[in-house]
Amino acid sequence: MDMPAVVFYIGPFGVTSIVVTTWGIMMTLGVFCWFATRRLTLIPGRLQTVLEGLVLAIEDSIKAVIPEYAQQVLPFIATLWIYIVIANLTGLIPQLHSPTGNLSVTAGLASLVFLSVHWFGIRSGGIRQYLKHYLSPTPLLLPFHLISEVTRTIALAVRLFGNIMSLELVALLVLLVAGLLVPVPLLMLHVVEALVQAYIFGMLALIYVAGAMQSQQGSEKGNHI
Amino acid sequence: MDFDWTTFVLEIINFLILVWILKRFLYQPVLSVVAKRRADIEKSLSDALQIKKEANELKHKNEQYLTEWEAKKEAAQEQLNAELASMRESKLAELEAKMNEEAERRRILDERNRHEFEQLMEEKGIAQGVAFTSKLLSRLASPELENRLFLILAEDLQKLRERDKHAIAAAAEEPGLQIKIQSAFLLDTNKREELTRLLQEMTGKILPIVFNTNPELISGFQINIGSWVLHANLRDELKSFSEVLQHAG
Repeated sequence: MDMPAVVFYIGPFGVTSIVVTTWGIMMTLGVFCWFATRRLTLIPGRLQTVLEGLVLAIEDSIKAVIPEYAQQVLPFIATLWIYIVIANLTGLIPQLHSPTGNLSVTAGLASLVFLSVHWFGIRSGGIRQYLKHYLSPTPLLLPFHLISEVTRTIALAVRLFGNIMSLELVALLVLLVAGLLVPVPLLMLHVVEALVQAYIFGMLALIYVAGAMQSQQGSEKGNHI
Repeated sequence: MDFDWTTFVLEIINFLILVWILKRFLYQPVLSVVAKRRADIEKSLSDALQIKKEANELKHKNEQYLTEWEAKKEAAQEQLNAELASMRESKLAELEAKMNEEAERRRILDERNRHEFEQLMEEKGIAQGVAFTSKLLSRLASPELENRLFLILAEDLQKLRERDKHAIAAAAEEPGLQIKIQSAFLLDTNKREELTRLLQEMTGKILPIVFNTNPELISGFQINIGSWVLHANLRDELKSFSEVLQHAG
């Protein structure tokens, strides 16, 4: 894929269409959420019911993995899911590209997951306990832990980028070769793939965070034993 | 696969801002209202449980009250039954006494009625007997029978007790007294003189004597001396006989 077009510059930094699309998604989500949640009632309407169902479903998924820290990690994980789903589906809108089809975006998200793993891990048990888990069950595994941290982050970024980019590319190629309506089934596949990839990314991020938070408990138990 | 560091950094910043936006405008309000609803539901459930508990307690108390009331009712019923039985026994005894009294009264009344009836029948029988005898004696009445009765009268006058003679003599002292002699048949002179003599001997003085005939005497005599009445006739004998029979009955 080509380099996204620079829309404008902030000093020496060029703001690409991808970033503008992300801003659009942010603005849409922000306005929609503000509008939808400004008058919440105890007896919910249809929109409130949908929103409550969405948030509670995400909360239940997180609680199924880390019930003790669900409230703590919910904003991060839920935002990952919501943003990636919408970003993936943005490619269905003509003249727009999925931000997640860009490696810089997915790398940024993966970097955030990488940082958040350490952030939540340190917050839950302290930096000493957190760093100690790299030495368990034996210090010999420390290099493998470090390599794993880097590779899984790269895998996160590349997996999402590769899948979404390839979907858009395939749809474009089919459109060029077969005609106007032929890519429609492919677009349906795009929807499914967008949901699946968002779920995979968010769930992996959740598992990584949960691993960082719960591995200390495991190492503590191991030390006590 | 070109990598743009500006996009990379801006995406990180954008995502962090989006996290704040969604936390501020989506997660917090929604989770808050859900928590509030859960709290309300829990409160409602707690209230409902409390109400249910109170209702159960009230139900238990009510059942106890019902049990106590049932026991009291049964005790009152038993007492009432006992009182009713006692009252019934008393009333039955009273009624039986009244019935016995009534039966006794009825028996006495029946006895008296029967006795009166028997007496009436007896009187009727005696009256019929007297009437029959009177009728028979009326047919048998004759001067010979009268002579025989005259002899009986003369004999009775002579055999009077002294006390009766004195009483008759005392009655004869009444001034203006007139002796009345009635006979069924006309007396002849001899008999009149004989009677006059006997009466003078008995009273001790000469009194005016009036002789009458009275067929109702059937046969015989009746002598009136003031308040004294001496009789030797069939009518008065039958009457005396009848009275004796009645008194005997």
